[in-house]
Amino acid sequence: MSNPADTDGSAGARAPEPRLADYATLAFTYFTVGVTVSVAMVDAGVSIPTTLGAALVVYSATSELAFLAVKDGGGSTLIGVLSGWLVASRFGLLAVSLGARYRGPLTERIAAAINSFDPNVGLAVQQFDRRRLRRVFWQVTAALMIGWWVGSILGAFLGDLIGDGRAWGLDAVFPAALVAIIGSVVRRRDGLTAALSGAAICCGLIVVAPGGLPILASSLGAVLALVAVSTSATAVTSSPPQEPTS
Amino acid sequence: MSWWAIVALAVGVSGQRLIGMFWAGPLLARRPLLARLADLLPAAVIAGVIAQLAFTTNAQLALDARAAGLLAACVMVWRRASLFVVVFVAAGATALVRLLA
Repeated sequence: MSNPADTDGSAGARAPEPRLADYATLAFTYFTVGVTVSVAMVDAGVSIPTTLGAALVVYSATSELAFLAVKDGGGSTLIGVLSGWLVASRFGLLAVSLGARYRGPLTERIAAAINSFDPNVGLAVQQFDRRRLRRVFWQVTAALMIGWWVGSILGAFLGDLIGDGRAWGLDAVFPAALVAIIGSVVRRRDGLTAALSGAAICCGLIVVAPGGLPILASSLGAVLALVAVSTSATAVTSSPPQEPTS
Repeated sequence: MSWWAIVALAVGVSGQRLIGMFWAGPLLARRPLLARLADLLPAAVIAGVIAQLAFTTNAQLALDARAAGLLAACVMVWRRASLFVVVFVAAGATALVRLLA
């Protein structure tokens, strides 16, 4: 049971706390991501120590993959770094959402910011009170890190043995887990509008905008959802009262 | 990948996270309307990530077996299945479509 003093009056969706099986599944999800990135790095000629160093220091699979994509296409290191920053902009947005509700000592908040990923922020901000938010955030983070590190190390050393995970549908694991993570939010009208708008904006920009920008622009889906909900609330408020029928 | 590139990537990625947590997040939290916006941001951004992962290949829109996996995941989430079932069914549907294609 939550302590009312810990609630922050946020309008977010409320979801039950994840269970052990959920944490194990999230660890498996990040295991597949870790394997994918390490295999891609080693295939691109990056040494195993550098691959593992990047996994530790960069802390963003999408940034590493964006950098590799630019370099593979003959781009400069500078452009590769800028692309890596751009695709990581979503983590900044997720940290905005977390920072609006996360309370704790300075060092803990720094650690929380640096550990902001889609699953842990997505699940934490759905919690009702701040104590639960912190607990869920760090428990999910621990699960993600276990999966990420085991996957990164195995991918770096045994990538050839693991083979093509696409045959097992492993490339569908991460998007499917993300659908489940926002499942509670999209049951609300504003959450559904935000998600559908964000996805539509991203798809619309994929072909014309540089990597990272479509996902950054998908944040406008949240603005559209707020406008849509405010507009419908205003319409309901300003509509004349119905005459009673007998 | 050189070490200076790794450090540069790390500074940019962590910097954006820290700015979000310590500057933009608290700024949004001060006003109720903007706090609601901060609440909706993860759904919009994560949906963008899902769309990119499921419907693009080499920066082009693509409709392939991953779409079947995503559809299966949506149905499972709608039926309030556990995370494990959602992920398992999505991977299975994707693999099955690839096998049959």
